[in-house]
Amino acid sequence: MRQTSFRRQALLIATFGLAYAVAAAFAQNSYHQLIMTVVPVWAVMGLAWNVLSGYSGFVSFGHAAFFGLGAYFVALTQIGWGLSPWLGIPCAGVLGGLAGLVVGIPTFRLRGHYFALAMLAYPLALLYVFEWLGYQELALPMRRDAPLASMQFEDHRIYAWLAAALMIGAMLLTALIERSRFGMSLLAIKQDEAAAEAAGIRTLAWKLKAITLSGAMAGTVGGFYAVVLLVVTPAAVFGMLVSAQALIVTMFGGVGTLWGPVIGALVLVPLSELLYARLGNVIPGIQGTVFGIAIVAVTLLAPEGVFWKVKDLLWRLRARRLFAPRMQSASAAAESAAVAELPVRRKDRDAAPVFEVRSVSKAFGGLQALRDVSMKVLRGEILGIIGPNGAGKTTFFNLLNGYIRPDRGQILLEGKNIVGRRPYEICAAGVGRTFQVVRPFRRMTVLENVVVGAYVHAASDEQARSVAEESLSQVGLRREAQLLAGGLSNRQLRLLELARALAGKPKVLLLDETLAGLGGGDAEDVIAVIRRLAAQGVTIVIIEHTMQAMVRLVDRFVVLDNGAVLAAGQPADVTRDPAVIDAYLGKRWRVAHA
Amino acid sequence: MLEIRGLCAGYGGVPVLNSVTIRVESGDLVAIVGPNGAGKTTLFKTISGIVPPTAGAIRFEGADLLAVAPSSRAHLGIAHVPEGRQVFASLTVRENLEMGAYTEAGRRAWKENLERIYSWFPVLAQRAKAQAGALSGGQQQMLAIARGLASSPKLLLLDEPSLGLAPAVADEIFERIVAIHSGSAVTVLLVEQRVAEALHFADRGYVLEAGRVVLEGSHDELRNNDRIRQAYLGM
Amino acid sequence: MSAAQLAENFLQALTAGLLTGALYGLMCVGLSVIFGVMRVINFAQGDFMMLGMYAAYYAFGLFGAHTVFGAAADPYLAALLAGPAIFVAGVLVHKLLVSRVTGIRGSALESEGHYAQLILTLGVALILQNGGLYVFGSAPVSIPTPLSSSAWEIGPLYRDRIEIFVNQGQTVAAAIAVAAVLGFVLLMGGSRLGKSLRAAADNPEAAVYMGIDVDRAHRLAFGFGVAMTAIGGGLLASGGPFQPYVGLEYVIVMYAGVVLGGLGSVAGAFFGGLTIGLVQQLSTLFLPNQLQNSAIFVVFLVIVLLRPQGLFGRAARRT
Repeated sequence: MRQTSFRRQALLIATFGLAYAVAAAFAQNSYHQLIMTVVPVWAVMGLAWNVLSGYSGFVSFGHAAFFGLGAYFVALTQIGWGLSPWLGIPCAGVLGGLAGLVVGIPTFRLRGHYFALAMLAYPLALLYVFEWLGYQELALPMRRDAPLASMQFEDHRIYAWLAAALMIGAMLLTALIERSRFGMSLLAIKQDEAAAEAAGIRTLAWKLKAITLSGAMAGTVGGFYAVVLLVVTPAAVFGMLVSAQALIVTMFGGVGTLWGPVIGALVLVPLSELLYARLGNVIPGIQGTVFGIAIVAVTLLAPEGVFWKVKDLLWRLRARRLFAPRMQSASAAAESAAVAELPVRRKDRDAAPVFEVRSVSKAFGGLQALRDVSMKVLRGEILGIIGPNGAGKTTFFNLLNGYIRPDRGQILLEGKNIVGRRPYEICAAGVGRTFQVVRPFRRMTVLENVVVGAYVHAASDEQARSVAEESLSQVGLRREAQLLAGGLSNRQLRLLELARALAGKPKVLLLDETLAGLGGGDAEDVIAVIRRLAAQGVTIVIIEHTMQAMVRLVDRFVVLDNGAVLAAGQPADVTRDPAVIDAYLGKRWRVAHA
Repeated sequence: MLEIRGLCAGYGGVPVLNSVTIRVESGDLVAIVGPNGAGKTTLFKTISGIVPPTAGAIRFEGADLLAVAPSSRAHLGIAHVPEGRQVFASLTVRENLEMGAYTEAGRRAWKENLERIYSWFPVLAQRAKAQAGALSGGQQQMLAIARGLASSPKLLLLDEPSLGLAPAVADEIFERIVAIHSGSAVTVLLVEQRVAEALHFADRGYVLEAGRVVLEGSHDELRNNDRIRQAYLGM
Repeated sequence: MSAAQLAENFLQALTAGLLTGALYGLMCVGLSVIFGVMRVINFAQGDFMMLGMYAAYYAFGLFGAHTVFGAAADPYLAALLAGPAIFVAGVLVHKLLVSRVTGIRGSALESEGHYAQLILTLGVALILQNGGLYVFGSAPVSIPTPLSSSAWEIGPLYRDRIEIFVNQGQTVAAAIAVAAVLGFVLLMGGSRLGKSLRAAADNPEAAVYMGIDVDRAHRLAFGFGVAMTAIGGGLLASGGPFQPYVGLEYVIVMYAGVVLGGLGSVAGAFFGGLTIGLVQQLSTLFLPNQLQNSAIFVVFLVIVLLRPQGLFGRAARRT
C-alpha cells in the first residue's frame, strides 16, 4: 500500500517498465508496435493530468493545450531549424511547463465548474490560431541521413521502448510527488482548500507548481507524439479528444493514484485501437465511442476508478482479518490508562494574553454577526466560548484564524495585529484549529492525515512523520495510525482532528464544537485528551453550543449571544447569571424557577 | 397520529439518532428540546425522507411512512418548515405560498388558506409581490411557516422557528405558532431552542441528548425537571 | 477604406451578429435551464444541438415533395419538430444516466459527486459525436431553403453610399428563436410547472418538503434544456452544412453566452448568447475569419476570469 518504501515502489515500477519493454520487443508488425507506443503516451498524458487534477481536484478539460504546444514545438523546430528531437522534446517540456504557469496564474482564481470550463477554452483557442497560422498539416521531414539524431528509426519497437522510458520517468516522478509534502498538500487542497490553508498550506503556490509540472509532462509527451506520428494537425493535438483521453484513462484507472492512469491506458487504448482496426471502416467513430462508454460506465459503477474499487475490496478483506476483533477494546484500554495519569496543570495567568481581541465587529449583508466583541485569551488556559445557535461563535473563530477580516477592531496574537494576514501565515504563527464538521482526508490513513498537519514546521518528510506519530500518541490514536480515516468512529475522528491540529505545534488551539454529538463516554475521552494538551502548555479555546460537558473542562467561559458578549467568568458564576439562563432556557424558565 | 419507534439514522456511517421513540397524538403540540448536535434536525429530516434511517419504523396515521417516497410525504399531509427557513429566495412571497399549496389538499383549499395565512401574517399580504430573499429574517420565518400551512397539513413540523432572530421577533413568531395551533386543527411537532417557551405551551415534551431521548413527559412533568437545566447548563 | 464603407461593414456585421446572436441566445437558454435547475453543466449540450440539426434534417426529408406549408416554411417547421424529438431523447438520457449522479442523491455525495456529473456528460458527448458519425455519416449535409439565398435590402442610405443586406432566412430563424425564448419565459414564470421547476432549482430540499418530485423536475429541465438548444440547432441547420462533430464548435459559444449572462439566469443567457453572436460577427471587421472562434474564447476567458458571476447576472456560487 502507500506505506511501502519508495525503494520498493521504484523497484516495482522499474520491473513493470522492463516487462513492458520486453513485451514490446515481441510486437512483430508495425501496427502492434504503434499500439505499444501509444499506450505509454496516453499513460503519461494521464499521469500529467493526474498530477494536477487527480491530486489537487482541479479538473482540467484543457490538457491538450500543453500537449499540442509540445507537439508543434518539436515539429516546427525540426522543420525550421533542423533541431534534433532529442533536444526538442525536453524543450517542449519546458514550454509546456511555462504554458502551465501562464495558464495557472489567472485560471486558479476559479474553482469547480468554472475552472474546468475555462481550461477547455485554451486548447480550442490555440486550435484555431494554429489553423489560421497555416499549420493545418505539418509533416516532419524524413531524415534518412541521420536517423538517430532525428529520432527516425527503422525498427519501430524503439519508439515503444522510448515511450516506456517516458512512462517509467513519469511514474517515478508521480511516486515521488505522492509521498512528499507536495503530494500531501495537493491532496489536502482537494479535500478541503479552506482547511488546508488553516493547516498552514500555501495553496496557490502548490497549485501553480502542480500545473507547471503537469504542463511540462504533457508538453514532453506531446513532443514525442509528434515524432512518432510524423504528422501534426491542430485537431489531432489540440482537439477535445486529447484532453478527454487524458482525463478518461485516469478516471477509468483511478484518480489520484500512481497506477490509475497506467491501468486506464493499458485497457482503453488497445481496446479502442483494435476495435478501430477491426470495425473502423464500418463504425468510423468507434474510438471515441469506446472512451465515451468507458467513462460513462466508470462514473456510474466505480466513480473513483478501477484501482480504488479493487483496493477498497482488498482493504476490506484485510481489515476484517487483522483489525476487527481487537481494535476497539485495546485502544479504549490504552486511553483510559493514559487518562489516569493526569499531570498537574501549569498556569501562568499573569503572563501577557495569547490573543487579545479589541472591539471587533463583523456584518454579512444586513446581518450583524459580531458586534463590538472584546476578550482576552490567557496563556495556558482553557477558554470556553458558548452561546446559542447563530450567536456568532464560528464567525469569531473564522476571524481569529484569518478566513475573514473584521469590519472594525483589532486582533492581537502575542501583541501583534494579525488582521489581514492569510490563514496559512496565522497557522505558521502558532494558531491551529479544528472544524465543526470533521473533515478528515478519508482516503488517507490516520497517520498520513496528521502528517499533512505536520508540514507547517517540519523541515523534512521524516521529521513530519515523527511529529505526526508523536501527535497521535498525544491523543491516544497510535494504534489506529494505519487505518483509513474514512472508517473511523465519531470519537476517533474528533481525536484525529485534534492530532492534525496538534502536529502544527500550535501555541493556541481553536476547537470548533469538538464535543458535539459525542455520547457520555466518548465525550469524557476527548475531554481527557484536551486536558492533557492544556497541561502540556497549549492554550485552548473551545466553542460549544451547550455548557454541559464544558463546565468540567474549562477555566473560564465567554458567553456570546446575538453577536455580543453576554457574560464572562468562572463556570460556577456564568451558569447562575440570569442573562445566560434567559438566553439558554428562556425568560419563562427563570420566572418559573425563581 | 405519528409514531416513531426505535429510529436510528446518521450521515456517512456516523450515527446521529440512536433508537428514538416518539409519539404524537392528533391535535397535540409536542416539543422536542435538546442541545446542539442532539439530532433534532436529523430526526425531522428522517421524517421527511431526506435522511434515510438505518433502523426503526415511522408510522403516520397508521401507515408505514418509510415506504412512501420523500416527495410524496407532503401529499399525505406532513408539512416540514425547515431549520434556517429555506424559503425560495428567488421566488416572490406569493409564489412561495403557491409552492406550499403544491399538494392536492392545498390547491383545493387555496383561497381560504390564503385568507387565513394573511390574517395570521398580515405583513405577507403587504409584501406578496416581493422576492422572498429580500424579506427580513423574521418575515422569512413567517413565510416559511405560512408556506407550510398553505398545504393544509395535518402535521406541521417546525424546526427551530426562533433561530437567529432577535428576541422580540422570536417572541412574536412564537405567539403566532401558539395562535395557529389553537385556532386550527393542525398537530404541531416543534423543535425549539427556547426550552422554557417550548415546554410552556407544549402538551408533551421530549428531551433529546446525543441522539437519544433522555427524558419525556407531559407539560407538568417536564417543567420542573432539573435534568433539562443540566442538559443545557451542565450544573 | 472610406468612412461610408466602414460604416456599411459595421452595420452589416451588426445585423449578422444580431441575427446569429438570437439563435445563440436560444441555444444558451437551453444550457442555462439545465444548469439553473440541476446545477449541472451539460458537456453534451452541443451534441444535443447536433442531434437537433439531424432531427430537423430528417423531418425536412420526410416532408419531401408534398410540402405541407410551402417550401419556404418547411425548414422552420422541421426545426420546431426537432424540439419534441430531442426532448424525449433528453428525458431518456437523464432517466438512464444523468439522474444516477445528480439530484438529491448526487448532492449527498462528496465533492467527487460534483465532477461525476460533468464527466458523465463528457462521456455522453463522446458517444453522441462518434455514434453520430456511424448513424449519420461523416459527409456534411444541409437543409436547403429558398429564403437563405434571398435578402432584404435596406438602403441605399447616407447619400446612396450605404446599403445593408438582411438575409431573409436568418431573419425568420431569429424571429422564431426569440418567440421560443419568450414562450419559455412565460412557461417558467406563469405556469405551476414552471414555478415548481424554479422552486426545485432554488432549494431542492425545501422543494421536497413541498411535495415537489425533484427528480422529475430535473428530468423535465434536462428535457426542456436540450430541446431548446435542439430547436436552435434546427434553425441553424438551414444556414449551412454540418456534420456530427459540429457540436464541439458551439459548445464554447454556449458556455461563453451562459457565463456572460450569469450561470442559471434564463434572460441573462439569451442576452449572453446575443452578445456572443455580436462578438463573433464584429470580430470579422478586424480579424481573419478563422479567428472568429478564437475571439469568442478570448472573450469567454476574460469574462470568467474577471466576472464569474456574468455581466448581467447576480453573484452566483462559483462551484
